[in-house]
Amino acid sequence: MSVKYTPVQWNKVKYWYDALLVAGTALFLVVFLSLPPEALGHTRPVDPSITNARAFGAAAFVMLSFILMIGPLARLDTRFLPLLYNRRHFGVLTCLVALTHAYFILNWYFAFSPTDKWVAVLSSNTSYGQALGFPFEAFGIFALLCLLVLATTSHDFWLKFLGAPLWKGLHMLIYPAYAAVVGHVALGALQSQAAPGLAWIVAALGLTVVGLHLAAALHARLRPDPQVHAVPDAGWRDVCDVTDLREGFAQIAQLPDGKRVAVFLHEGQISAISNACAHQNGPLGEGRIVHCLVTCPWHGFQYDVRTGRSPAPFTEKIPTYNLRLRGSRIEVDPKANPPGTPVPPIPLPQGAQT
Amino acid sequence: MTAELIIQAARVWLWIGAGVALLFLAFGMALVDEDADGAYAFRPLLVPGILLLWPLVLWRWFRLASGTDRWATRYTPPRAIHAALAVGLALAVVAFLLTGAMIKQRWPAEIVPQQISPPAAEASQ
Repeated sequence: MSVKYTPVQWNKVKYWYDALLVAGTALFLVVFLSLPPEALGHTRPVDPSITNARAFGAAAFVMLSFILMIGPLARLDTRFLPLLYNRRHFGVLTCLVALTHAYFILNWYFAFSPTDKWVAVLSSNTSYGQALGFPFEAFGIFALLCLLVLATTSHDFWLKFLGAPLWKGLHMLIYPAYAAVVGHVALGALQSQAAPGLAWIVAALGLTVVGLHLAAALHARLRPDPQVHAVPDAGWRDVCDVTDLREGFAQIAQLPDGKRVAVFLHEGQISAISNACAHQNGPLGEGRIVHCLVTCPWHGFQYDVRTGRSPAPFTEKIPTYNLRLRGSRIEVDPKANPPGTPVPPIPLPQGAQT
Repeated sequence: MTAELIIQAARVWLWIGAGVALLFLAFGMALVDEDADGAYAFRPLLVPGILLLWPLVLWRWFRLASGTDRWATRYTPPRAIHAALAVGLALAVVAFLLTGAMIKQRWPAEIVPQQISPPAAEASQ
């Protein structure tokens, strides 16, 4: 959460996360650079620039694969949510590793000619009409540009400036980027590797990423959030029964416009807020109330469910919704109040059991 | 020729981005985001992003400064597109892996390289 922007918002958890990331990446590089030539499919030692390029390229591919596994894993099992917490730092480090790979490639394969190396990388192979000998560098350049866009817009300023939906849409470039990286590796490095083990590792990582995303999509399809139902009074919608609520937790329901409302029970009173966190549109309704504040399960942003406001000095706000009771049924006005609008909570009916 | 044009266009794009970055970071951002007012240390971190995405920056700057940004759009996460992206990613990854496996050139590992000679006509010259 922010009051004034700082270059990097570190805390104890993020220090540990980043330390593990850097240590893991360094370990991967050291192990890769220590492998004997035959393990990489070479019959004799290759130049250090080539080995370095391959080590950083392999590290970037593995890191990108793990990054893409975090999202679906967290959706399928909430125990993986801590990995999501600092995923942006993981992404920035991956971009730096990929840039280092590109640096070694550019300054070795395209450096020793009168042609400008940037021009050379684009013009040395233009056989775009065939699979065999396809200029796989193009896939790498595209993926690197995507990673650059993602890394350079990872600061919280961009989230607020663009708005979470647009920011998230921009960051979905990770999907075509990953597909391009697989193409870059499959049509490039793997074509010159005699060691079949590397091809199996690439295929295993790629198919694991794909399998997890398909499983998460299927999970969401099979367990959709319930829809609100029309009631006789025009405009209002039925959400659930008071007995469906549990102290400190929410019932999520999908409104006619596709947005989701989270109806919370807190200290015997019912309130409704937008299910989308102001930060990254995380699912607030999947969070729980801690010290009177609902806490987003993704990054820990907190809001008072009665006002839709973060506690001072923080300034984040989310829309609130008006509620009413009809017997034991909870009804919502699907027209959201502007972010941060206080709404008096509704006391549970006398004798209601939750 | 095409490659040179692309590189030249990229240079122009980045130079325009540098101009936008200078204007936005010096004058614009504090007016559209109160959390940036008085915060300077983080601003250099934004320069690479503005260089790459300056048309988007200009558009958002205009929307925010003119008050035409609708708050409701900020709370509509693009969740529905994930399934389509997952299927698209699966198709692309499988296609690339299969293509890579099918076109891979194989030859006997123990083949002995042969020293080739120039054609007879050239050799006699």
